[in-house]
Amino acid sequence: MNNEQTAAPMQPIPRHAIASEKLNLWYGTFQALYDVDLRIREGLITSMIGPSGCGKSTFLRSVNRINERLGYVRIEGSVHVMNENIYDPHVELVQVRKQVGMVFQRPNPLPISIRDNILFSHRLHAKGGGDVAQGTPDEIVEQSLRQVLLWDQVKDRLRRKATELSLEEQQKLCIARLLPVKPKVLLMDEPCSALDPKGTEAVEELLWELRGQYTILIVTHNMAQARRASEECIFMLMGRVVEHGRTDEVFVTPAHPETADYIEGRYG
Amino acid sequence: MNTANPALFQASDLNRHNARVQRRYRLLFGLMTLLLITPVLLILGTLLAKGGSAISWEFLFSAPTDGMRTGGVFPALLGTIWLVTVALLLSVPIGIFAAIYLSEYAGDNWFTRIINLAIINLAGVPSIVHALFGLGAFVLFFKFGTSILAASLTLAVMTMPVVIVATRESLQAVPPAFREACWNMGATRWQTIRRVVLPNSITGILTGVILEVSRTAGETAPIMFTGAVFFTPFLPQSVFDQTMALSLHLFVTATQVPGIAEQVPFGVALVLIALVLTMNSVSIAFRMWLRGKKKW
Repeated sequence: MNNEQTAAPMQPIPRHAIASEKLNLWYGTFQALYDVDLRIREGLITSMIGPSGCGKSTFLRSVNRINERLGYVRIEGSVHVMNENIYDPHVELVQVRKQVGMVFQRPNPLPISIRDNILFSHRLHAKGGGDVAQGTPDEIVEQSLRQVLLWDQVKDRLRRKATELSLEEQQKLCIARLLPVKPKVLLMDEPCSALDPKGTEAVEELLWELRGQYTILIVTHNMAQARRASEECIFMLMGRVVEHGRTDEVFVTPAHPETADYIEGRYG
Repeated sequence: MNTANPALFQASDLNRHNARVQRRYRLLFGLMTLLLITPVLLILGTLLAKGGSAISWEFLFSAPTDGMRTGGVFPALLGTIWLVTVALLLSVPIGIFAAIYLSEYAGDNWFTRIINLAIINLAGVPSIVHALFGLGAFVLFFKFGTSILAASLTLAVMTMPVVIVATRESLQAVPPAFREACWNMGATRWQTIRRVVLPNSITGILTGVILEVSRTAGETAPIMFTGAVFFTPFLPQSVFDQTMALSLHLFVTATQVPGIAEQVPFGVALVLIALVLTMNSVSIAFRMWLRGKKKW
């Protein structure tokens, strides 16, 4: 985290979209996260890497509080999103889900039309003057699909069901349907692992398009992807953060021998 | 190697043996299927042959006369429609709502497991026991008397487990990924149920309801003590009236009336089956309409 000098000049004080403090998490008696302190900067793409079971997905899932659905999860510490502790008892879970969108390994479009998929969460949150995209439904659909570079492929079949799309298109749609409610953070849990290289490339391209408008935190097993598609990189091991820095620095001059070993494929 | 090997793609003894075994099993399964539909065809055939001549507009739309020996089945037909409708109005909403609770809201703990066990056991209780329960609970304790209401409540209690089990199974057939996708977008449980789970399971739920229609219309024991009578000169005006019913009428004409023409009970049975099939086809049509309306 010693990269303040490299921050863009128009943004002298880097803001943190996600900030965890002494985050400890247990699945039953198994401790999955140990004192995780992370400051993830607003508007950047941050990747999380590390061997299976290192806690990166667990951390991701505690940023929109879907871990607690499991019932046997215990959490200590705090996670701030846009300077508010989302584990505060006064926090409305529905708002957390609106502000922090999540994309999963397997694309999970709803079995309704492409158009309805895009409008689904907008309809949930638009009533009562929530901060959502303005415009007619058609405009919102077009705008969201354009943002994920999907509009040209699907504009003639918006009423077809979304599950008919290719996996790559489904995954883009799953990203697109988060956008109409103006989330602050997009969490992606290995979003490309079900996709072929071409689909992966397309989704990475899309990440760069969304960069700046949203803070993106992406968990990946693909080292090359972390290197290509992120600006900052977090390396985790056994539930602890080992290293967090600019992606090129983490990859070229890692500060910790564990990071270097993992990156070079000596374990993982 | 360029020596020709003529045996490369020839059937071996093992292949032939396996093929023979496979044919034997196909034959077995086919015969069982045939065995399954034979009684259905026999029943329908016998009913049509022996009871078909009894069917006429007069038979359908007039009251029995001369101690059931002549006249028609109209009061019983109407009574069965009353009983089935009221029973469905009571059991379908309760059953579906309870199933939604058990499947979508309740956690998996000892309490819900006991409830599930109770539902399965309830489905296995003999109908005559339900009849006595209905007599004790609805006729005597709640003082509904022998009435359509008491009989329909008894039928509802008896058939509710079928609705619950069928509904829960079709709810659980909806992939969990759909629910999670909804929750992760900030949908409440109810929004998820309303917009994703129910539209995807409604056809299965209707199948449960269809099953229940057939069962309800045919039951005799539970209504015998609670609301159905051998004969009444009046048509039911409200749920507090007693009524005749086709199933009981069939029992009466088949066993209790000396010197009755053979075609009368067969005709009654035919009307009962036709009624059930009509009600079923309405639900099936509704189901197909829903499926056609689905966008996915």
